[in-house]
Amino acid sequence: MNRKQAISTIVKEVGNNPIISANGFISRDLYETCDRNQNFYMIGSMGLASSIGLGVALKNPKIKVFVFDGDGNILMNLGSLTTIGSLQPKNLIHIIFDNNSHESTGGQPTHSNKIKLSRIGKSVNYKVFNIVSKKELISNFKKIINHKGPVMIVVKVNKSKKVSKRVEIEPKKIVERFTNSLKIHSS
Amino acid sequence: MKEKIQRDIFDYFSKNGIENFIGVPDSTMKYFIEQGLEQKKILITTKEEEAIGIGAGFCISKSPTIIFMQNAGFGNSISTITSLIQLYEIPLIFLIGWRGYKKNDAPEHLGFGKIQNQLLKILDIPFKIMSENEWKSICDWSLHNLHKNNSCALIIKREHE
Repeated sequence: MNRKQAISTIVKEVGNNPIISANGFISRDLYETCDRNQNFYMIGSMGLASSIGLGVALKNPKIKVFVFDGDGNILMNLGSLTTIGSLQPKNLIHIIFDNNSHESTGGQPTHSNKIKLSRIGKSVNYKVFNIVSKKELISNFKKIINHKGPVMIVVKVNKSKKVSKRVEIEPKKIVERFTNSLKIHSS
Repeated sequence: MKEKIQRDIFDYFSKNGIENFIGVPDSTMKYFIEQGLEQKKILITTKEEEAIGIGAGFCISKSPTIIFMQNAGFGNSISTITSLIQLYEIPLIFLIGWRGYKKNDAPEHLGFGKIQNQLLKILDIPFKIMSENEWKSICDWSLHNLHKNNSCALIIKREHE
């Protein structure tokens, strides 16, 4: 399964809930697969998707908040895992698409093939789930996201030759749409 | 800055709509942070960029936020400020401890202390230096900026001899 296939499978299951997607190919795949007002596309500030997601989750405890992260991205902000693990936001679902590489910059390797992100997740008190195939994703995802958070789902994905288009929405507009969607969601 | 004023500044922000105080501690604002910790209103992060990320999450949920840090941490955060806060026009108040303001500070602070205000100017972040006499109007200035959707910075000097 490649990342775009994983994203299109997951996005069907998240309903109207907000998604914070990491910069690079993750946001691009999400944008091309399923653009919606509840998507906060990051187009820079690598590493911070889980931090932004934490802020949204803490302020909106009744809404399930999804973070679409990458292995290179989270390795850049491992401290965030300790903050999230300490605060235990019940409504945060942290999905890491792990392709063992910085695919957006040319596929250079990360350390996630030698260090298990899922073990780090466990040691900072996440509930951790590993997904290695599309079949597993389809059959398990719904059950997994019903667990109390913080939940970490490490989804193993292959690199892909196809590159999705860039996010074309103005950043200010991304914020406006997202903020309004939260208001509608919570009212 | 005097303990009482630091504590008053915290309470003033808290009473005037700031809902989140997130950051990495600095000795210049020790009592400000202590006041917040006593009220369980402070979130300490592992680094400053993380604090800005969490603050951005609060802000896009319409929850006004202050990010506090030492100026060294402000230096670490520059690209997060340009590529997240300024790019998406997410308003935050930065409270920055000015280490290296006087030459008697520890040597690691002197280099950044010298360029701090120039960097704020280059980044086009309006700032004011906190003073014990005018702290209230300076806080009001920052809140006014926030309401107009602009980020700004408040500087607390290290004044020990």
